[in-house]
Amino acid sequence: MKHGLSLLLVGLLAASPAGAACYADYKAKRDDPLRLHYGVAELRGACTTENAANELLPRLAADDWQLLNILGVFEDAGLEERRDSAGDYFLRY
Amino acid sequence: MPGLRKGETVRETTSSAIEARQWGNRVVLAGIIAIVAILAMAAAILFLNLPDANAFNARVERLFVENDTLTGQAEVKLLEILAQSGTAFSETLDSYRFVIFVLLVFATALLIAAVAFLVMLVALNRRMSLIERQGIEVNTLMIARDQKTVLLNNFEFKLTDAAIETLAVLAEARMDDEVLSGAEIEAVISGRSAEQCDEAAGATRIKRLRDSLGNQMISELLVKNVARKGYMLAIDKAVIRMV
Repeated sequence: MKHGLSLLLVGLLAASPAGAACYADYKAKRDDPLRLHYGVAELRGACTTENAANELLPRLAADDWQLLNILGVFEDAGLEERRDSAGDYFLRY
Repeated sequence: MPGLRKGETVRETTSSAIEARQWGNRVVLAGIIAIVAILAMAAAILFLNLPDANAFNARVERLFVENDTLTGQAEVKLLEILAQSGTAFSETLDSYRFVIFVLLVFATALLIAAVAFLVMLVALNRRMSLIERQGIEVNTLMIARDQKTVLLNNFEFKLTDAAIETLAVLAEARMDDEVLSGAEIEAVISGRSAEQCDEAAGATRIKRLRDSLGNQMISELLVKNVARKGYMLAIDKAVIRMV
């Protein structure tokens, strides 16, 4: 618990100097029958694609989605233009 | 060459019939195993090479991942529909697979039948040539003691009491795979022990039997003399019938 909290703290500290929230857009799938989605999610940790993959994998897996790839990371500025494409999956996970 | 021929034919008629059968059996077995193996291999290759149900999904998924611009909701939906129609098609592939399997089973059965018939043809040909060489093949030898007749391939021969007795003794010995000497034949017919009987008496009985059946041909085809051992019927024991 303490460990988790400290990690969160480190994450917040790491993110805060940038001054803005960090987001990643990704693609995921579900098998049998094949379902695909494009989504946007907020990152709590470092604003890198590696971290995005690490963070999103368990979040998506909890809902039976399989992460295919991370397209990129961006800040508040890129959020609005992706809202339509992501649809239901905009900031859902 | 003519001097060799007699010995050769005797050797061939005794051993080749058995050898041919063994050889034939081995060929049939090997052929059938080969057919089953080849068709099983063909089936395995066919089934392994048929695309599985997930091939379409994998392709669509790769399309989705590789194109970064494919992010719109409608586009993603379209991809899902594509994958579904692919899956539907793969279900029809399953029925193809079953059809192929049934056809392979048919092919196996037909090929096995073909091999069996081929071997049968070869065996029949061999038998035919054997019969042609031998001239006469004894298919049935029926001894009717009470009517004093013997039926050789449905040719009916009348015999004397003594001759029919001799023939019956030889037939019984043949069924037990025994060779009887002249003295033994005489012993069986007269009821005395073989030591008390004369070899010449048995030989005379054989001679009379051959005489009444038609000497030389019969001695080659039917009542054969085995050197230093005695006499036996030179026919398959399965064809002998006693009435």
